[in-house]
Amino acid sequence: MINIFCALPAEAEAIVQHYQLNELKQFGLYRLYQSRDKKINLTITGIGKLNAAAAVSYHHACLASCAADIWLNIGVAGHADIAIGEARLVHKIVDKQNAACWYPQILFDTSCKSAPLISLNNPSTDYTTDLYDMEAAGFYQMAIRIGTAELIHCLKIISDNRCTPTTTVNADRVKKLIAAHITTIDAIIDALLPLADEVASINSESEHYQAFIKQWHFTQSERIQLLRLLRCWSLRRPDQCIMQSIAALKTGKQVLTALQKITTDTNFVIHD
Amino acid sequence: MIKTIYIENDIASHPRTKAILARFPHAVNIACDRYGEVFNRKAQNFRLQKKQPALILARKHKNLILPTPKQYGIGAAHNYYFSHMLNCLYDCRYCFLQGMFQSAHYVLFVNYEDFIWDLQSLIDKHKREPVHFFSGYDCDSLALDPMTHFTNEFLPLFIKNPHALLELRTKSTQVRNLLKQAPVPNCVIAFSFTPPKIAATLEHKTPAVDKRLQAIVDLQQAGWHIGLRFDPLIYTSNYVQEYTELFNAVFRKINPDLTHSVSLGSFRLPKDYFRKLEKLYPTDKLFSSPLIEEKNSIVYPPSIREGLLEFCEDIITQHIPADRFFSCHETVVASL
Repeated sequence: MINIFCALPAEAEAIVQHYQLNELKQFGLYRLYQSRDKKINLTITGIGKLNAAAAVSYHHACLASCAADIWLNIGVAGHADIAIGEARLVHKIVDKQNAACWYPQILFDTSCKSAPLISLNNPSTDYTTDLYDMEAAGFYQMAIRIGTAELIHCLKIISDNRCTPTTTVNADRVKKLIAAHITTIDAIIDALLPLADEVASINSESEHYQAFIKQWHFTQSERIQLLRLLRCWSLRRPDQCIMQSIAALKTGKQVLTALQKITTDTNFVIHD
Repeated sequence: MIKTIYIENDIASHPRTKAILARFPHAVNIACDRYGEVFNRKAQNFRLQKKQPALILARKHKNLILPTPKQYGIGAAHNYYFSHMLNCLYDCRYCFLQGMFQSAHYVLFVNYEDFIWDLQSLIDKHKREPVHFFSGYDCDSLALDPMTHFTNEFLPLFIKNPHALLELRTKSTQVRNLLKQAPVPNCVIAFSFTPPKIAATLEHKTPAVDKRLQAIVDLQQAGWHIGLRFDPLIYTSNYVQEYTELFNAVFRKINPDLTHSVSLGSFRLPKDYFRKLEKLYPTDKLFSSPLIEEKNSIVYPPSIREGLLEFCEDIITQHIPADRFFSCHETVVASL
């Protein structure tokens, strides 16, 4: 799944339209949107770090996200001298309030440049060479508890700078700024998807696991052992039907003992 | 190619930092206070980071030189290891670093002068007794030498202290810096090997076995002492033939007189590291090998382990005097 978080409806509008997201009316605390295939979700967090952190938590609880999900905070930000309308991925987030910092791991090739960002409690026109926003720190510190670091990112579009201060920013302009970067958002998602697929493949359980725990009783630690042994079986005996080999066994312990025999079989070739 | 460099503020103006940054003018530079802010954070994924590791330039503050684990030695009573880097250019599936760290980024400690100071203190402490120092435990000693200039900076200390020995453990063929200078008699360049088919399966991004052998030949011709490390020994049903072919290839090419030592150790990993690795690489066949748990480590069962070790020892001692042969099996980690 791809989980997108925007502070304001104006930041979300172009994304909702582009990915044809529909509002999920059953969730009332924050506005949640979802694509028909349920692969892309968007939550409008409201302004500020606390709202962003709470929205990530709520989104996770409502939509059961997992370690293989992509998490994106997309919105507008200020900067001293980057031109209005330019986009930046964030490679360092500092919470101005407590100086806590995080380093999003950009492991993919992208034409989008990156920059450090400071999350403020209140809007400021005291511009520096860091991006200014009000949500990234809240978003990131909560998302990192749920997701995989390399799949959690912030994309900011410059809405104000020394020459064009915050007073000029309005909802219509924000919509246009984000809409102009839909291809940037698409490219970032495309670059992250193979990484997400890799995490999903790492975490996937054996195709037989569910059948085993339905047929036999295993304690929690035995289930962990079972997962390992099933993986071993699929690597060492890919052509042999596992269910046929152990169908007659009565208990989970007998099953584990039978599977254990595979791991001590010395007929083992490590390479093809 | 390094695309991102994190730089601790503390060493931002260190000349070594500046020199390294100059090598990567297009890399994104990101300031941090401590490398631990970036490296080994929760929720990071070693396997994903290995696709595009960043470089972290940092200062090592304490524990610069540590005693080696028991039985990790090649003949001296006093053995220490040190790591000017954490993590490795290569991606060997059996390497304990994948289990030890959440992060695959390369950490380079640029304060070599502090390492050298501590090394000298330990050399002085042991006076004229033989003392061995091992590099290449948490990284490959030579793989990034063209960038780090590790050998150029550390070898003069050992030239000055001939009773201390430095082992540079490596799979790299980056030996140009060594070949440019006169051989240092108390420095051993220790290359590790597995048979070519096993290397091709498990030792990703490493130079091929024959390239490593050529590096040995070049070094020996220049007068350097080399070491051979068949560690970890990897079990496969056909190991007799595969290891025989490897030993034949190695001992046909090397000069036994300039071979300082040969050591062996069968595959072993601390249990926690092993479990982490098999979760990271669930379809990797190494982790479905015939293995057992023993003393909180994952090892081959004695029947396999002893067969492998005895077989290899028998062949090796036909080529190398017994006093240059060392078995390191009890050491609990498999690395370079």
